[in-house]
Amino acid sequence: MSAQIPISTFKPYRGEKARLARAYDYLILVLALFLFIGSFHLHFALTVGDWDFWVDWKDRQWWPLVTPLIGITFPAAVQAVLWDKFRLPLGATLCVAALLIGTWVTRVFAYHYWNYFPINMVLPATMIPGALVLDTLLMLTNSLTITSIFGGAAFALLFYPTNWPIFGMFHQPVEVANSQLTIADLFGFQYIRTGMPEYLRIIERGTLRTYGQYATPLSAFCSALLCSLMYPLWWHIGKWFADTRYLSKI
Amino acid sequence: MAATTESVKADAAEAPLLNQKNLWAGISLYLVFYSFIRWYEGVYGWSAGLDSFAPEFETYWMNMLYIEIVIEVLLFAGINGYIWKTRDRKVMSITPREELRRHFTHWTWLVCYGWAIYWGASYFTEQDGTWHQTIVRDTDFTPSHIIEFYLSYPIYIITGSASFMYAKTRLPTYHEGLHLMYLIAVIGPFMILPNVGLNEWGHTFWFMEELFVAPLHYGFVFFGWAALAVMGVVNTEVMAIAKLLKKDLA
Repeated sequence: MSAQIPISTFKPYRGEKARLARAYDYLILVLALFLFIGSFHLHFALTVGDWDFWVDWKDRQWWPLVTPLIGITFPAAVQAVLWDKFRLPLGATLCVAALLIGTWVTRVFAYHYWNYFPINMVLPATMIPGALVLDTLLMLTNSLTITSIFGGAAFALLFYPTNWPIFGMFHQPVEVANSQLTIADLFGFQYIRTGMPEYLRIIERGTLRTYGQYATPLSAFCSALLCSLMYPLWWHIGKWFADTRYLSKI
Repeated sequence: MAATTESVKADAAEAPLLNQKNLWAGISLYLVFYSFIRWYEGVYGWSAGLDSFAPEFETYWMNMLYIEIVIEVLLFAGINGYIWKTRDRKVMSITPREELRRHFTHWTWLVCYGWAIYWGASYFTEQDGTWHQTIVRDTDFTPSHIIEFYLSYPIYIITGSASFMYAKTRLPTYHEGLHLMYLIAVIGPFMILPNVGLNEWGHTFWFMEELFVAPLHYGFVFFGWAALAVMGVVNTEVMAIAKLLKKDLA
């Protein structure tokens, strides 16, 4: 039972300090937004970029393994500060949303309008659902261990299913010059990339010890384990970056 | 004469704590400049930037490189020299209101730093990925590299160093000692520029294809992480400003 306080008795403080504190909120938000777009995007593009750039890299073995693993890093680091210091349960979603803004702007204005790759060929993957679960779990449990194990696992396991509605259609088979291709393969062959011969693609090619149709779930669960380990590592990296120590000399 | 002095003093006391004009001017400066750059590369990337052995490449791109490097060195020395020369020699004895005003000016610098990092690390970095897939490069100084490495990186380096210098010379918070995470947040992203040395060496003698996720690029990633150290600066700023807002603002 909470106390019933009539709205009319509650007067928000609108003095100078309130306005300043509000202005300061906006400044922090703008800094955080652009700085995280910049550094998270740089980190992401240079470690799993090719899988994220091209539709014909979005396979079953590598893409759902490495993308969550690299994607959980900045969310963990930023959560460590936003949650611990400010009780703001949005660290992961902030990072992932920032990354998506950065990638979308570049895909549209550089890939498409500068160099004319079709947008459908260079759609970024989404990690928003995993980030929401990660933030919610941390908020509800307030526990690094539980968020690592279950949040990290959810971040990886949700990746492929939540991207399937975006990329499933590019897996339609087509017959081209007596070969069976997916639409995604066809995009790769049709829109020439000068620096990317086909052998460069790091995608599933099959092995003699791959059984049935288990490639995607295997990759997702392997990624879930790795994410559970990556999460606490980056949590502590985030903690370290939030230090307020001074040095006397460099 | 006396009247003039009086009115100047009154103006100083009434000066806004957050100068929004400067904030918007700073943000617009980068936006307008980089919009121009995006237009320039859109036009002259295709008409003069495809063959580096052609005379028009010299006119439209190499000259741009020489000019921007000279201007950047002058700007770096000029801005930081000016901030150092006009440093507050009695920084510990300013009024709380003046201190708060400087914190907000400092935040104008920090927001500009985040904005500059966005353009350098997010937009122009990933944009280079698509230019690599559009041309087979015949020089290390492609139009995209001339903009990414030698324009957008130096610009955020200049902005970051100016921000650090402003804090160091005008804010009591940073007067004693060197804020470790502030140093990392400025020097880490700066090191991305020297890392171009490794990058170009590697692309010349080691990785022949344009694999964006090649380990050769991880140096950029490592130094990019350093931008997270801005979380330490935010922690320090929040503590300093909270302390000031608790006091009387006059």
